[in-house]
Amino acid sequence: MEKVKVMVVDDSRISRMMIASMLAKTNFEVCAMAENGAEAVELYREARPDIVTMDMNLPDADGIEVSRRIHGIDPQCKIVMISAMKDAKLMMQGRLAGISSFLQKPVSTNELIDTLLMLCQDSVGAVSIFRESYVPSFVKVFQDGLAQLLGLKSEISITHEEDSVLHIEGVAVIIGITGSPKGRIAVYMSTETMRRFAKTMLQLSGDNGEVSDEEAEATVEECSNIIAGRGVSKLNDVFRDREMRVTPPGTISGSDIRIANPELISFDIKATTKLGDICMNVGFSRGV
Amino acid sequence: MAMDAKLVNPFIDAFTSVFPQMGFPAPVRKGMSLKDKIANSLGVTVIVGFTKQLRGNVVYNMSEDTAKYIASTMMMGMPVPEFDAMAQSAISELSNMLTATAATNITGLGLEVDISTPSLGVGAGAQVKISDEQYLVVVMDLGGHPVEIDIAVSS
Repeated sequence: MEKVKVMVVDDSRISRMMIASMLAKTNFEVCAMAENGAEAVELYREARPDIVTMDMNLPDADGIEVSRRIHGIDPQCKIVMISAMKDAKLMMQGRLAGISSFLQKPVSTNELIDTLLMLCQDSVGAVSIFRESYVPSFVKVFQDGLAQLLGLKSEISITHEEDSVLHIEGVAVIIGITGSPKGRIAVYMSTETMRRFAKTMLQLSGDNGEVSDEEAEATVEECSNIIAGRGVSKLNDVFRDREMRVTPPGTISGSDIRIANPELISFDIKATTKLGDICMNVGFSRGV
Repeated sequence: MAMDAKLVNPFIDAFTSVFPQMGFPAPVRKGMSLKDKIANSLGVTVIVGFTKQLRGNVVYNMSEDTAKYIASTMMMGMPVPEFDAMAQSAISELSNMLTATAATNITGLGLEVDISTPSLGVGAGAQVKISDEQYLVVVMDLGGHPVEIDIAVSS
């Protein structure tokens, strides 16, 4: 995904640096910084950022007036007002000047990123947003979970297919996601991998007892539940007010089963391990 | 996790109110029973999960023939010879409508609930474990086509 260009307008050097550092490890790139209104208008023309963060108090004009001027250059511009005050009158004036969102100082990293993501989603598309912002959390908890729960090393590969259908030869644990966005997680693997998974998890070696398929399924279900729960709580840490929760697991087993979720944008995260391939498919409803 | 009988009516009411709106004959309740942990797929199963004050899953379980009949009726009588992507999408959407209506009915009981997106499983012989304990099965007849609702939710 292409970097999303952000211009920061603030008369305080510290504030500009803070915003730049919040965005440092994200897909947002600070392409310009302006310390007053005149400079902001000039730099907007040159740099054509995707999003502008705007301080209210600037030495030569207020943020609303500067936003109005930028909006005059580009009616499609996306401006986030960051100010110490946030009242209804300011917001109304700001909306009329073309400001899309309002944040109150001090702004947390999460709030800022969340707001910018929502603003740019039309231009970069929901698939990219999910891939860049949601999927990495699940990759991390999946890989960490396999390491912690089973002592498993894994190689991860991620694929995205439109309207993908999962083909199950073995077991799939399905865990729903409620809140915004809605979705579901499906952890699936072959029957053989499931048996090895359970024996590893329960620390049973060759002659140290067998595990029934029912027990093996229960083991996979429990691990999947833990990993899915961690993934969603990680997202909740980053994106507040989304109230994302996981449903209790449902487990489908058998051969030649297809699982479809027609309305989801989904990503298949495959962990290649010594026990076999363990897959986690994470899908989100279109439209955040 | 004990199944509360009062939580069954919201699902039955959803069934009887949603289907006639889409041009189906009025569904009739055929039977109710308790089962243990696992449901055997009749061919097509749709799982929808619940969170907040009610947690669990509901599964709509039907044969592929029934699923094709429902999809065809939803699409104004268009023939559905194969249970293809469009038919799957119709069943998925229907399950979403049924569950959202049930959720609204449950809210009327004073319980706050939220539902997940539906997951549709296709394949005869699949086993679906939806509960660690017993769950409730309601069989509804829809114009001669049976649809099983497997309910495993509790507050």
